[in-house]
Amino acid sequence: MSILTYIIGWPLVAAFLLCLVPRDYKFVMRLVAVVVTFIVMVLAVKMFWQFDNNAEGFQYEQHATWVRSLGIGYHVGVDGLNAGLILMGAVVAFAASLVSWEIREREKEFYILLLVMTGGILGAFASLDLFFFYFFHELALVPTFIMIGVWGRGENKNYATFQITLYLSLGALISLVGLIALYLRSGANTFDIVELTNHVRQNPLSTADQGFIFPLLLFGFGILISLWPFHTWAPLGYGSAPTPTAMLHAGVLKKFGLYGLLRIALPLMPGAVAQWAHVIAWLCLGNILYCGMVAMRQKNLNWLIGYSSVAHMGFVFLGIASFNLIGVTGAVLVMIAHGFLAALTFALSGYLEKQTGTLEIAQLGGLLRRLPFVGCVLIMAMFAGCGLPGFANFAGEVTVFFGAWKKFNLITSLAVWSALVIGAVYMTRAIRGILHGPLPDKWMAVVESTWPLRKVPYLVLLTSLLVFGFFPGLLVDKIKPAVARILPVQSASAARPATGTTMALADQRR
Amino acid sequence: MFENAEPFAWLILLPPLVAAGIIAMFTRHSRRLSAQISISAVIISFVTTVILFGILRASGADSLRPTSINWLWIGDLAVDISLKLDHLSLAMALVVTGVGGLIHIYSAGYMRGDRAYGRYFACLSLFMFSMLGIVLADNFVMMFIFWELVGVSSYLLIGFWYEKEAAGDACKKAFLCNRIGDAGFLLGILLVWSMFGSVSFAEVKPAVAAYLAAHGGTTTMLFLAGLLIFCGAVGKSAQFPLHVWLPDAMEGPTPVSALIHAATMVAAGVYMLCRVYFLLEPSGALPVIAWVGGFTALLAAVIAVQQNDIKRILAYSTLSQLGYMVMAVGVGGPAAAMFHLTTHAFFKALLFLGAGSVIHALHHEQNIWRMGALKNKMPVTYWTFMAGTLALCGFPPLSGFYSKDGILSAALNSHQIGLFILGVVVAMLTTFYMFRLALVVFYGGEKSDAAGHAHESPRIMIWPLRVLAVLSIIGGFIGIGTLYASEFNAEGAVPSMGFAAQLLEPFSASPLGALFGLFAVILGFSMTFACYRGRVTDPLPEKLGWLSRAMRNRFYFDEFYERILIPCTQEAAAKLADAFDRWIIFGIVRLSAGCTDLFGRALRQVQSGSLQGYAFTLVLGVAIVLYFVLVK
Repeated sequence: MSILTYIIGWPLVAAFLLCLVPRDYKFVMRLVAVVVTFIVMVLAVKMFWQFDNNAEGFQYEQHATWVRSLGIGYHVGVDGLNAGLILMGAVVAFAASLVSWEIREREKEFYILLLVMTGGILGAFASLDLFFFYFFHELALVPTFIMIGVWGRGENKNYATFQITLYLSLGALISLVGLIALYLRSGANTFDIVELTNHVRQNPLSTADQGFIFPLLLFGFGILISLWPFHTWAPLGYGSAPTPTAMLHAGVLKKFGLYGLLRIALPLMPGAVAQWAHVIAWLCLGNILYCGMVAMRQKNLNWLIGYSSVAHMGFVFLGIASFNLIGVTGAVLVMIAHGFLAALTFALSGYLEKQTGTLEIAQLGGLLRRLPFVGCVLIMAMFAGCGLPGFANFAGEVTVFFGAWKKFNLITSLAVWSALVIGAVYMTRAIRGILHGPLPDKWMAVVESTWPLRKVPYLVLLTSLLVFGFFPGLLVDKIKPAVARILPVQSASAARPATGTTMALADQRR
Repeated sequence: MFENAEPFAWLILLPPLVAAGIIAMFTRHSRRLSAQISISAVIISFVTTVILFGILRASGADSLRPTSINWLWIGDLAVDISLKLDHLSLAMALVVTGVGGLIHIYSAGYMRGDRAYGRYFACLSLFMFSMLGIVLADNFVMMFIFWELVGVSSYLLIGFWYEKEAAGDACKKAFLCNRIGDAGFLLGILLVWSMFGSVSFAEVKPAVAAYLAAHGGTTTMLFLAGLLIFCGAVGKSAQFPLHVWLPDAMEGPTPVSALIHAATMVAAGVYMLCRVYFLLEPSGALPVIAWVGGFTALLAAVIAVQQNDIKRILAYSTLSQLGYMVMAVGVGGPAAAMFHLTTHAFFKALLFLGAGSVIHALHHEQNIWRMGALKNKMPVTYWTFMAGTLALCGFPPLSGFYSKDGILSAALNSHQIGLFILGVVVAMLTTFYMFRLALVVFYGGEKSDAAGHAHESPRIMIWPLRVLAVLSIIGGFIGIGTLYASEFNAEGAVPSMGFAAQLLEPFSASPLGALFGLFAVILGFSMTFACYRGRVTDPLPEKLGWLSRAMRNRFYFDEFYERILIPCTQEAAAKLADAFDRWIIFGIVRLSAGCTDLFGRALRQVQSGSLQGYAFTLVLGVAIVLYFVLVK
């Protein structure tokens, strides 16, 4: 069996086993969740480590036919596009299950849902079959709604659950229509993504089909990714979600839509992508610039992080819109980096709220003195969020800028402004408001937990950001060939050096 | 035997990073050990730089082979972390590690009583790493990476005493001003990359020449690229209009002000301009650069005349001198700019450390009008401070005289008389405010109790002062100027001169510049003497009236930015976006949800469960159908 099946299977099996554990055995349930996600993380690291950058096609493949007449089967495998995402998902899941210590009621149901969500997310990224791709996503999505509804925070909880459920279900539904249309119009009579891609490469979809299916996927997935103007669910939902859920959804599950665009829409409908590129680029400005500015006005830390996470999605869209090797590779880098970062920031804000009972920035202040460790990590996360070199986000964002520059001068300029200045404004404001300044008397009693295990989730996420920030090559060398395969042939060979020296240098590198 | 010395260059860059990591992770709570690790790291860097510099001089080559590792490579975007080892970068690295090392040692004494001693040294080491990265960078993206890291280490150090409101605000302001410049810098890099297909200095340089040949001169795009890259220097070197952050940055500990906000980080902008001079020169952006620099020099010097905080006077002086250097680049004298950068690093670090020694002795009193008569109580501080003052004013034969003369003669050579006159006026103002400072602080009567109880600082703080004083005195005639001159001289190496020839070089090479410079110093000195001798309060506010008030309030730039410019532009746009999001987009979402809900409620009325109602509807339906079938 493929290692991927173990990565997907362990959390699902553990979730089933937890159903059998009596609800008083809280410690056992926590232990099971932590140990299982730890194993999954180790397996994912092993998978990532042993990944062969030079191999053609998919690795760790496993195939089992299920419904022969429709062409549905269990098919998993990784290439450069999803290897990093699966690693990121597994690391975030481990951190999220550690952070779940803070859940103090109905632990049994919570841990079951958490494990189902983890299995679903990882399954969605590993699947190479449209049916399972979608099925696993829904498997992860439904627990999200329940978790927000039952364990959510704040008085807006019910409304948030209501909106996020309707909104995301709508997005999933639209993309489902698109996927089914794709299945029918391709004529390949298979749900297998690999076969489908090969078939469509031979017999391209007609322009009319592309023009009809691509928008369905773009906006269906777009809703799931909080593409402007369909973003309002995100800050609201994350503000109300329990910490582990916000980490898993903002960090990992949200990337499903982007992954779908990259895996399905881009390779199968290159013509439509080229047509829609300008629309995507302008919409992404709605994310980057507009949501960045909205984030500047937020007075609550969770809302600020929520809007900044929406803004970061814009960079991915910009990379996709550029539709060349550099831009799309950068987009995948940002997806992975943002996964770690979003999980880290939501974990930190959850910790802060547990300690102080509020996330209103105006009420906090001077907390760095009382929370040296968490405060330091928060500062680092904030700097990672405004694109400081050394963190993975910088590598991704700067790559996206290079990719998009030649195609969209103006939009890239505005995006650079937003990334460097607007991002810095709200991040430094948050630091100034929460951590710097004199310590109000009411927070004198705040004490940081000295238990080492409480630090582990933050350290794991921070380390990941730093490792991929210092050595983006670890990801880029895997992503590059995969992206080259999904791009149309002429733009895949993006090497058009302007000078002889660069040509010579590029040759020498090869 | 030195053929393969290049990999050792990593020993310049990496020790401070390792030190920062070790201190942050393990030894933060052990005060002594943290300081030792940090100081050892900078000493390793310094020694390695000296050795490599010696090898390079001995070899007679232009540069050692760069040593590189690939950081990112996608398609035609290739970014290496690669160390450039030529005369320019190694000389700058010598300044950074040398002056930096002295400041590290000084800090060990100055910060002794501080709660977060370990954190201080971790940040200081992080800064050294970032700064050396800028110096050794051999491509635009690597320079940008370390550029940003320098920005953040400066943020951490300005906000070192984060519990003070002012420190928290100052570090935020510094970071944001830097970021505005960086946005321009990054756009410039993108533009350069798309025009020349590479980000490496070594590859862009011939590409620029080829581009010029192909287009028969400069183009708008090239001009734009030069201007955008200059934006980076405007932010980091605090040039007008982004100059507002540097004076506020004095909220950091004084050694930090000396290291970052006088000697090294703020000079990085000038260094960068010299590094990419091959691009700026043909771009046609030089006049803009010259006038921005000249204006900053004048503006800051005028403001400095009416400041009363010892560190702020020095901060405005730094601004003014940076403007001078930028102007030097603009008038086509990058060698003069680098020369002045180096001597300025010596004497400005000396002045800040001297000021720190005074502040330390007076228990954190910074107002010069509460000092006085420190000459005899702090003799070493006094003598070294005077050496720094004289060097800064440009008193021959101290170092400042030579480097300042280089800039004035470069302005003359480029036939920009306006800038030359501006330079002379700034030199006069510099002498005026520096002697005002020296007279008030060290002479006259004691103006407060603290000044009466002052005593000399400990040895660990005194020795760096002495070393820097010696360098400030002799820095002008030990060959630093010729070193830079040969680096930027297209015709090849400048002939090396004898000691006496170097000593008199300004008078023989450009007598007009030297004489005007000397005249400015003498004029400034006599004016100060007339104004401030034996004064207990400042006589100027009465004489100048509103002008003095405007000078003291920095010509209201901060107020203009904070109350008018920012609220009217970015904040207004943010408010608009927020309102739009809250009322329009969220409103539409709520409305569509509400409509669906309403529709559902309306339909629910039909499902009343009353049999008569159902029967009635049924009959009504039948009647309607019949009507359509039969009547129509």
